[in-house]
Amino acid sequence: MKIIKKEDFKAFINALIKDSGMVIEGVKSKDDKFAFGPLESADELRLDYDVTLLPPKKYFLPQYESLLKFDLADPFSAKRAEFPKRKVIIGVHPYDIVAIRQMDSYFLDSDISASYLRRRRNTIIIGSDVLKVHDKAFFGSMGTGIVHSGFDLFLTDLGDRVTIEIGTEEGANLLRFAKNMREASPVDVQKVKALRNAMSSKAARGLLIKPSGWHDLLEKSFESIIWKEQSDKCLGCGTCTLVCPTCFCYDIQDDIHLTLKTGERMRTWDGCLLRRFTEIASGEVFREDILDRYRHRFHRKGRYLPDRLGFVACVGCGRCSSQCVPDIADPVNLTNMLFEASPHLVQDSISDPHTVRTDFSRLPEDADKVQMLHMPVPATIKRTEKLTDKEMLFEIELNSGKPLNHTPGQFVEVSIPGIGEAPISISSAPNGKSFEIVVRKVGDVTTKLHTLKAGDNVGIRGPFGRGFDVDGMKGKNLLFIGGGIGIIPMRSLINYVLNHRKQYGKVTILYGCKEPCELLFKSEVTHWDTRDDIEHLRTVDKCPEGACWDGEVGLITTLIPKVKFDPNDTIAVIVGPPIMYKFVIRDLKKLGVPDESMVVSLERRMKCGVGKCGHCQISGVYVCKEGPVFNYKEIKNLPEAFK
Amino acid sequence: MKPNVAIFDFSSCEGCELQIANLEEAVIDVTKLVDIVSFREVMKEHSEDYDIAIVEGSIARPMDEERLKHIRAKAKVLIALGACAHLGGVQRMGNKFGPEENKKEVYGMADQKDVADSNKFFETPRHKALDEVVKVDYVIPGCPINKNEFAKVIVALLTGKKLPVPDYPVCVECKKNENICLFTIGGVCMGPVSRGGCDAICPTYGNECEGCRGYISHPHEQAQNDVLVKYGLTAEEIMNRKTMFTSKYLEEKKEAGK
Repeated sequence: MKIIKKEDFKAFINALIKDSGMVIEGVKSKDDKFAFGPLESADELRLDYDVTLLPPKKYFLPQYESLLKFDLADPFSAKRAEFPKRKVIIGVHPYDIVAIRQMDSYFLDSDISASYLRRRRNTIIIGSDVLKVHDKAFFGSMGTGIVHSGFDLFLTDLGDRVTIEIGTEEGANLLRFAKNMREASPVDVQKVKALRNAMSSKAARGLLIKPSGWHDLLEKSFESIIWKEQSDKCLGCGTCTLVCPTCFCYDIQDDIHLTLKTGERMRTWDGCLLRRFTEIASGEVFREDILDRYRHRFHRKGRYLPDRLGFVACVGCGRCSSQCVPDIADPVNLTNMLFEASPHLVQDSISDPHTVRTDFSRLPEDADKVQMLHMPVPATIKRTEKLTDKEMLFEIELNSGKPLNHTPGQFVEVSIPGIGEAPISISSAPNGKSFEIVVRKVGDVTTKLHTLKAGDNVGIRGPFGRGFDVDGMKGKNLLFIGGGIGIIPMRSLINYVLNHRKQYGKVTILYGCKEPCELLFKSEVTHWDTRDDIEHLRTVDKCPEGACWDGEVGLITTLIPKVKFDPNDTIAVIVGPPIMYKFVIRDLKKLGVPDESMVVSLERRMKCGVGKCGHCQISGVYVCKEGPVFNYKEIKNLPEAFK
Repeated sequence: MKPNVAIFDFSSCEGCELQIANLEEAVIDVTKLVDIVSFREVMKEHSEDYDIAIVEGSIARPMDEERLKHIRAKAKVLIALGACAHLGGVQRMGNKFGPEENKKEVYGMADQKDVADSNKFFETPRHKALDEVVKVDYVIPGCPINKNEFAKVIVALLTGKKLPVPDYPVCVECKKNENICLFTIGGVCMGPVSRGGCDAICPTYGNECEGCRGYISHPHEQAQNDVLVKYGLTAEEIMNRKTMFTSKYLEEKKEAGK
């Protein structure tokens, strides 16, 4: 540990600003609060701050970030946004360093985010000890008041002198700008230790239950009345998530510039407290009730991310509680309330906020060599076919000439630069170079898609998600139950099975839609009638007078008693609108079909497709990664799956 | 073919039209995309041949209604520009009083011969939003509008995208701008229930949000009321906040309650 006199420390910071050639950012005052921002002089740096309004996550996942820039005349040669200038951020508190580590784990441990990596590699972190504890902070209770790594340099302001701990070689290199530095004496080191301990004990706000106990507490009190009582006061404004250092969810939108010649794909912060967070193109909102959104946030912090990545996603900074107007966001109050109301004994789990450390040495040195998660590859529409007034089929081939290599049930992200990107299920069985999607006209992207013709280009990312277990189904009898546009992803499996007919047992297909005019794949469906190795029934909810219809009339559930199958020797594959699952599953259960023999495919807002943006999450499950195909048994206890 | 655009105004300060003029160089980009055939604030020419009508102002008099219906009949697309066209504007606050009371308040006893005959040449009608008279295709909210949003709306119209007007509260952009929440420094603000898209310009400059862009689609009104009470507002003060730009909602609620 080094030590330097205050005036020499200021000279060091001023030298960094003037001579380092890097952008130097640090904590500055903003009225009587604090915020990170560019430093013009060392005098602006406020190491005596309590907490900043926004956490330093804004440097790694900016509020607004251009992911791709494109020329609309040649959109598929899209470029990455310019490389940000090299930056030093000064004054990052230990709890925020822990939060940055969690971000590292989220964006770098799997499906590396190139844009995050380039920012992270390009930023030097100078930490500093807390000198003043905000009255809402509780990093002492979370064990995040002291860090020994995760920084390049670390400062402790001792009044007339500042100690400097070296974390990395890069940090040590910066010290060439410092003069009159010497080794800290054991007495100084002792002072620093004492200060850290004092701050941590000051920032312990009577949390009745250790962070490692949150998981169990939240799980056991999922149905507690406290969620309702608290969320009744919630404004749904999103503040708690936006100011949180461990909330990483984002939205992506395309912009076309006013010239109509260029555009870009923009990423911006989103939050699960906002109503539209879970909205899909058809208008369905999966966490419509504020109670569900309010509860989701805490569960993501204390259960879902610990299950997924091994850390409790709260570092005790106190930003949410200090900025929540109705004062319902404080994790200390909430967990204490739940704990006091809980008759259960709370078990410890292994996770706490510290349990992650991303190994940067295994990551590529040059972030620009990493394939961008959000960069689509160009593809060409080979054929279009209008199936109904609303649905159009597209046969697509990647321009690379390579097959998509998908599994039935997977999906792709289809993008039209300038308009946007939408998740669309693959409707064809893997077969040759091309693949088929069927698109219902509901949003911007799908409406635009309907105007495209053979020869036009689209961008493709994927295939994504987990498809149907075609191998596990081998030798089994299969009962397909498809409702509405659920037949679209289901067709990829049906055709796969029919292509390998001998490998599967009895095949029964039940298909229902609202009206005869909404029937999809008409010629294929009527062909099923003629095959003696398929049992097939179809129905419409209602048949308007004069419409031509040779099937049944009634809800899809009315078909189930009309077919014979052995409930103990059949796998039921169910895909349809959210409302359908409840009734079909109920009826199959009554007939004795075991839970593990039912397979479903769920629709959510799969915005990124790579498990980062947060939109498709059902409780702790990412539909874009673990789904969209699920075994019913895996998810039947997820409260939000079949709501 | 470039679409023809005509810009009209009714009861308003014409500040939203001024925001369009304030696009400065970007106006040139706009004119490359559309032909502006009528824009009283900046040009003399007027044409009755237009595809897109952009209309500012609230609708107050019978003759206004007629004129708006005429515009609607001619235009393929009608856009309400700004809070007056969208919600009825601040002038709608007067709707809660009767016309006589308004007349006295505004014009005093001018032109008075006897009480019954007073102020007979001055009109103090009720104000309506455009959508209470004709079908409105799109709304560009705000008092005044956000000129960048106006440019985005033009792009969206021409490229067939949904309008970029967001449906999240002002707090979202306020937080992204790293503002100090006005509630935390003794202020009160309608931001939590009001529609964003303004880049939280008022709170960014230290002014409380008055809700000029209207409410988000599902505002948590009860929670907001509780907060306003907690921050010391009386029932009357809360009502005043809700009347400033958003009395349309109050009138609608009253109507529905009947």
